[in-house]
Amino acid sequence: MLDTTAIRKNLKIEIDGDPWIVVDFQFVKPGKGQAFTRTRLKNMITGNVLDKTYKSGEKIGQAANIDEREMAFLYSQGTMYTFMDNENYEQIEITSEQVGDATNFLVENMNVEVLFFHDRPIGIELPNFVELDIAETEPAVKGDTVSGATKPATLSTGYVLNVPLFISSDDKLVVDTRTGEYVERVKK
Amino acid sequence: MRQSSSAEDACLCDAAGILKIRHAIHKEIRSFFDRLDFVEVETPIRVPCPCIDPYIDALSAEQGYYLATSPELQMKRLLGSGLEKIYQITHAFRAEEEGHMHSAEFTMLEWYRTGTDYLGIMEETEALLRALYATDAVPSVEWEFPLQRLSVSDLYTDHAGWDPCSNWDEDRYFRDWVDGIEPALQNMPAVFVMDFPAPLASLSRLKTDNPKVCERFELFMSGIEIGNAFSELLDYDEHVKRFATVHEKRRAMKKVCYPDDKKFLAAIAQGLPRCGGIAVGVDRLIMALLHIDHIDNVQSFPLSRL
Repeated sequence: MLDTTAIRKNLKIEIDGDPWIVVDFQFVKPGKGQAFTRTRLKNMITGNVLDKTYKSGEKIGQAANIDEREMAFLYSQGTMYTFMDNENYEQIEITSEQVGDATNFLVENMNVEVLFFHDRPIGIELPNFVELDIAETEPAVKGDTVSGATKPATLSTGYVLNVPLFISSDDKLVVDTRTGEYVERVKK
Repeated sequence: MRQSSSAEDACLCDAAGILKIRHAIHKEIRSFFDRLDFVEVETPIRVPCPCIDPYIDALSAEQGYYLATSPELQMKRLLGSGLEKIYQITHAFRAEEEGHMHSAEFTMLEWYRTGTDYLGIMEETEALLRALYATDAVPSVEWEFPLQRLSVSDLYTDHAGWDPCSNWDEDRYFRDWVDGIEPALQNMPAVFVMDFPAPLASLSRLKTDNPKVCERFELFMSGIEIGNAFSELLDYDEHVKRFATVHEKRRAMKKVCYPDDKKFLAAIAQGLPRCGGIAVGVDRLIMALLHIDHIDNVQSFPLSRL
């Protein structure tokens, strides 16, 4: 059993048979009073979000038995996404709902971590930084590397983000998958 | 990982800006108390009795000493020695307190004045806030003076549906604080929360006309607990009784019991003048003044950068 001292972002715990992930937490303690940890939990299967306050030292549940396997994204058909284990070539399918916002950054042959809860695939984790092609953006403004001005760009996945004016439509970008923000241009 | 170095650089360079603002704020605090003829004092950081509180834990400093969790006891002894208005800006330490509002080591401003009570300290606190907002270092105030004053009784009645001052239930009180009261305070830019239930009196005096309530207030700015003030308790027997209650609670929670500060008790036995005092978390005050949401971002070297 884990108690509140184990709480950190991305901790995966099992509550009532479901895997939950800590998406955010806060230590709260009145100057003269009992300490608590406020948590925001997300159900890793249903995506439901739950706010829960634990008293310091309180038991919060077992560590969820989540296995991660590196797999390559092969293709999507309708709402099903197919991934393949790079070592044994085993293929699995998960729904677009379980892939969630990761669809914004997922392109064929990208390696991701597929999460298994009791041998059942329940979702994926992207690398923090991915390289993606631009599908469409306004022509580049040469030389403007300092103004901080931005313009929208549509990625090959359909995701739209703000990029600096010097980016052109044949550039490849590094994107932070945690924030969805532009990081830098991949050098050609 | 490519981002981490630049992110850290950014932090350090923000830190330089913040340190300049901190400097201006410290300077204004000192000048404020100087204008009021306060004496700036220094008391030891390494002390034999770090606190008298069921929920505050101290860091050990070896050889039977601890790092002070506040300079309260020594400062009150100074009031007994003839000083009438004293203040101090010092470092205080609390074990196992880490978070966006907590740092094990933090800066505390504490001041005491004889011949007054918590209401006098409240006025002084408000005057200090006005002085700080009048400096160029701080963005101008976005709300109106004077500050709202809310009793704990009214707060709980409005936001939790019960009155802890008439029916005390400690576990319920703190759970409702975290789930209902503190979130409500987040929507109030600056407010004095006053008249706490007697079991939370700590070292404050109980109200003579209503002993279920104590003369204690806290300053909150956008939900951030900034300071805690008392009409200081003067009665010797009551001190002994409250120390014993704290020991009992700490024993029940299997926590370390800190020794009683005999020299402090002797000073109380000899008699302190009527007085009021307040402890203000300077880091949090700066957070509130500048709308910064993590304590690490107002300290020169938070633990994560040491």
